[in-house]
Amino acid sequence: MRYPHLFSPITLNKLTLRNRIVSTAHAEVYAEPGGLPGERYIRYYEEKAKGGLGLAICGGSSPVSIDSPQSWWKSVNLSTDKIIDPLARLAEAMHRHGAKIMIQATHMGRRSSYYGEHWPHLVSPSGIREPVHRGNAKIIEPHEIKRIIGDFKQAARRIKASGLDGMEVSAAHQHLIDQFWSPRTNFRSDAYGGSLENRMRFGIEVFQAIREEVGADFCVGLRMCGDEFHEDGLTHDMLKDIAQAMSETGLIDYLSVVGSGGDTHNTLANCMPPMALPPEPFVHLAAGIKSVSKVPVMHAQSIRDPNQAERILSSGMVDMVGMTRAHIADPHLVIKIRDGKEDQIRQCVGANYCIDRQYFGQDVLCIQNAATSREATMPHTIEKAKHKRKVVVVGAGPAGLEAARVAKERGHDVVLFEKNDVVGGQIVLAAKAPQREQMAGIVRWLDMETQRLGVDRRLGTAADEAMILAEQPDIVVLATGGVPNSGMVPAWGVAEGLAVTGWDILSGKVEPKKNVLVYDAVSSHAGFGVADFLASRGSQVEIVTPDVKVGDDTGGTTFPIFYRRLYAQGMIPTPNYWMDKVYQEGDKLIAVLRNEYTEALEERAVDQVVIENGILPNDTLYWSLKERSKNLGVTDVHTLFASQPQPCLSEPLSGDEFLLFRVGDCISMHNIHGAIYDALRLVKDF
Amino acid sequence: MTFTLAYALTGLFWLGAALLSLGLVRRAALWRQGRAAPVALGRLITIPKRYFVDLHHVVARDPFIAKAHVAVAGGAVAVLALAALNYGLMLYLPALDALMLLAALLMLAGAMLVRARRKAPPARLSKGAWNRLPKSLLLFSIGGALAALLALSGDAFGTAAQGLALLALAGLALGGAELALGIGLGGPMKHAVAGLLHLAFHPRQDRFSGDKRSTDLKPLDLAAKDYGVEKPSDFAWNRLLSFDACVQCGKCEAACPAYAAGQPLNPKKLIQDMVTGMAAGSGPAYAGNPHPGQAGKVRQGDPHQPIVGGLLDPETLWSCTTCRACVEECPMLIEHVDTVVSLRRHVTLTRGEVPGKGREALANLRDTDTVGGYPLAARYHWAIDLNVPVLLPGEHTDWLLMAGEGAFDMRYQRALRALVKVLKAAGLKVAVLGEVEPDCGDLARRLGDEATFQQLAGKMMDTLGRYRFNRIVTPDPHLFHCLKNEYPVLGGRYDVEHHSQVLADLLERGAVPLKADAAPLPATTYHDPCYLGRYNGETDAPRRVFKGIGIKVVEMERSGRKGRCCGWGGGASFTDIPGERRIPDMRMDDIRATGAEQVAVACPNCTAMLEGVVGPRPEVVELAELVAARLAV
Repeated sequence: MRYPHLFSPITLNKLTLRNRIVSTAHAEVYAEPGGLPGERYIRYYEEKAKGGLGLAICGGSSPVSIDSPQSWWKSVNLSTDKIIDPLARLAEAMHRHGAKIMIQATHMGRRSSYYGEHWPHLVSPSGIREPVHRGNAKIIEPHEIKRIIGDFKQAARRIKASGLDGMEVSAAHQHLIDQFWSPRTNFRSDAYGGSLENRMRFGIEVFQAIREEVGADFCVGLRMCGDEFHEDGLTHDMLKDIAQAMSETGLIDYLSVVGSGGDTHNTLANCMPPMALPPEPFVHLAAGIKSVSKVPVMHAQSIRDPNQAERILSSGMVDMVGMTRAHIADPHLVIKIRDGKEDQIRQCVGANYCIDRQYFGQDVLCIQNAATSREATMPHTIEKAKHKRKVVVVGAGPAGLEAARVAKERGHDVVLFEKNDVVGGQIVLAAKAPQREQMAGIVRWLDMETQRLGVDRRLGTAADEAMILAEQPDIVVLATGGVPNSGMVPAWGVAEGLAVTGWDILSGKVEPKKNVLVYDAVSSHAGFGVADFLASRGSQVEIVTPDVKVGDDTGGTTFPIFYRRLYAQGMIPTPNYWMDKVYQEGDKLIAVLRNEYTEALEERAVDQVVIENGILPNDTLYWSLKERSKNLGVTDVHTLFASQPQPCLSEPLSGDEFLLFRVGDCISMHNIHGAIYDALRLVKDF
Repeated sequence: MTFTLAYALTGLFWLGAALLSLGLVRRAALWRQGRAAPVALGRLITIPKRYFVDLHHVVARDPFIAKAHVAVAGGAVAVLALAALNYGLMLYLPALDALMLLAALLMLAGAMLVRARRKAPPARLSKGAWNRLPKSLLLFSIGGALAALLALSGDAFGTAAQGLALLALAGLALGGAELALGIGLGGPMKHAVAGLLHLAFHPRQDRFSGDKRSTDLKPLDLAAKDYGVEKPSDFAWNRLLSFDACVQCGKCEAACPAYAAGQPLNPKKLIQDMVTGMAAGSGPAYAGNPHPGQAGKVRQGDPHQPIVGGLLDPETLWSCTTCRACVEECPMLIEHVDTVVSLRRHVTLTRGEVPGKGREALANLRDTDTVGGYPLAARYHWAIDLNVPVLLPGEHTDWLLMAGEGAFDMRYQRALRALVKVLKAAGLKVAVLGEVEPDCGDLARRLGDEATFQQLAGKMMDTLGRYRFNRIVTPDPHLFHCLKNEYPVLGGRYDVEHHSQVLADLLERGAVPLKADAAPLPATTYHDPCYLGRYNGETDAPRRVFKGIGIKVVEMERSGRKGRCCGWGGGASFTDIPGERRIPDMRMDDIRATGAEQVAVACPNCTAMLEGVVGPRPEVVELAELVAARLAV
């Protein structure tokens, strides 16, 4: 019996879960206007149920009150009876596949922004501003406490009425309940402040009200933090006291524990631990709480692998494992574990594209799985095509690998050309940056899948026109990527060898020098990655960017990780500067910088200038094949965006006719998700 | 002259009869070293039917040798019978001589066929004395024909007659000696006498009656301190007799999966080892293939010395998968598996020397009621989200689903889930026992631990006795076999069906809602589980299931009752005796040879063994999974 603990059922109150794997509450950013789950929302969860998970807890931070705004991040709104029907549809969909479904309910207190929907005045125990969300708040008054407790009770009624299996209340990441708990935010002197007993009062009243509404048999959980990691915040010992007390109230059926507070940019980055952090970095906090808890304990944070999950359970640290991002990357995770197909799991790499999008107010998408949350249009399981075709894919970066994978899954004969000896394209370089090694996991899965499926892979083969045509293809997909766009400004002197590219450094082609200026015109992960690569090899690095801050386009849980390394290694961040030119003076290079706002010029004397300016498409093959192809290389965007087959696919091909398409950076620079989505949405209909 | 030959023939006949009788007495003394057996002498009258029906049924599978044997044996028996009548009783009737001539010519024809086979003998045949046999048969048949011809011809041969008569007598004497001395000296023709007696006194009398196959292991009387067989003399006398029936044709050898895998077991040699033990000494020269890896090893046998460690290496015993391919093939109806299990029982019960993981499995069974040492509560974890009712005492269900040990295997859980899905879709009222379901004891019994088997069986029967159900369905052929065939003698009688039988019936009744338009199904072959096919003769139901869901099966050469074992049976996957190849790998080669993209299985253990074959290979799919995939959602 493999994974005896992972697949051992557990009963929470009267709710029996078929296994110990949970998709814990997270913000999806999928709800329809008004905060109601629609088809996209339901299908996103239903896919996980089909995939075999035990329990999903949806609706991360779903507010119970109208003064806790939800619309600006499309959260589920539990403050209205309109929620009952959509949740009932969700419950029915999940139960059809044997999974259980709960929802998280909360009041965010100060952890929000007032500028939206009703323009509320946020409430918090002592009116202290929340830094991350600029959450200006007022001091909560007793009548508001009473109203909000009543709101929780109403939300509980709606949840139970909808047929959901339970309700989780959040007191983690500084929501209203733990704002009362935390000495960082509660300076009250009334019955809700001071002693621990007083600080816990609000939370207990909330659970009493809920229990009064739902009765003894309904599953009610509490999500809490295991340590806020703030000098003035809740410590692990305090939280153990709280956990023990809460578990002894008899009001709660399980505790879900996460590590780290989240009211500063730096602590927030811990909450969904990115790839830079070790696996399961905070499980010890959950284990500590389990040591005092009277109810089962759940823990999620970087548990992405079945063996890791089994080990955590078998060592008795927790009772249930959250594998939430793991499910975003592969909703069929559990079935693959169950069926011994672990090698086929598209494993989360912790790139945090999902959560970083959320912090930009965008819907959660997976960097590597373009079907996630697009279940209505994009398949997780690719069906076989009726007619077999010959498909030639050129380029084995993420777009080309995905195109080849999907085409092969469709049952076609697939030849994949790659000029390098290894697959992965630009991700191979991305994974060279310090603490970014796990990016290679994205390639690993595509690499293994294309091999498992039997794609005819011609590595180390730079395909030319003749080679492609010799395959007598029905369809040619170009995924030839691009080259660094470092010649955009001739005065940078790349052609003269004055400046080099990030690729030159990461690939090892150019040795790092002592004093280096990294000019990052796009502020993505690439620029900081190369700067970090240089700094960690002993270079003195200054990062210059015209953007408002270094790494500006990297997201709320990623830039803090970069900044930890930036300051720890003494790199110099210089935002708001353009680089006009580079020239040689003696044995030094002089970089001329221009301030975006004052236009004042400055100079830097350095040993090396490294440029990160994005990608120019590599489109030579496209232009040489375009006129020969039946569709003239045209991708019909109307059908593409509507997730429908390209019209030219239904026309018969005669003789040596073929269709030509492009995906990914060889059209124009996108990111990894963009490349993979390009390939999936096009090739799924081949 | 004629009369001289006639008298000589009379003398020769009675001399031969006397020698044969003496030989039989001598051989019978060896058999009688064995324990008593409850068979009556009156069984002798069953010989003709058992010979012409049961034995011939097996022999007829090889038409060439069947024809040869009919001619040789039929001719020889006729010659002997006519000789007894005409010369033994001194009737000297020419008409009988004429018949004898015909019989001898028939035998001659047969002997020619036998000789032809021996010219390029298959590897499985023993050589040595057995290579001499066609010559003896030729001599005897020519001698007989010549003698009859001389007797009929009067003086036609003139002066040549005397010389010819001497030749005829010499032929008959030399050829006849093979038979007359064979039984006493243990030569090849021993098989004729011992074989016929074996048919009468066969240790499994139920093999010849009723519609059920006799494949159940018989319980040991543990209270009477019967711990199986240690020494040759511990076998029942008719078991010793059965070993003497062996003709060393090697059909068992050719069918044995362990032998093919290069594990140290050749079932033919095993039977000859028993003969050696019974007859003491190093036995008559054995000129067949050895136990693999043991060529040239000379063993001393003694009827009163332990077999294992002396005559046999323990590894030989533990290589057997109890798949019954040998028994199925044996034209002399010898029961190899009984022999192996009897020997295993003594080793296990008195010394506990079970190799590999066998000992651990037995300890697990004793301590946890499961082979793998699992908590019983975990047996139905896979069903938690399928809402299968757990039967409570006092409640009643039509069908009781018993998952067996396969329920702890995550791969097999997929099959179980599929089965439940199908049974529910067909509207069957199914329940399970949940955490009270114990182990049926199959593995313990095959590993020789009869005590643990009887304990487990007792527990199982007690448990089942507390619940009310009409019928049992199980996808596990081992569990099926135990419940159906091995429990009745212990007092447990259940109406039990293998899931293939239930599925076949449901499909034929149209009770399973199937998808209307079927996607093209991949080429499929089917691997018969030994405990379903050979043990229970059920090769039809799974094929009816395939038919019911529109799958055309590409059959393997070794399929149905001739199916090749996956390597699990008899605890062989636990004792894990090294060979040159793995049995499941060979089976996968059989599967590959059909060109099928997937192989259907109908047993948790076959599933595990075939899934364990590494490298690119056809998919392994359980029968229920195939049906579930065709369910109309």
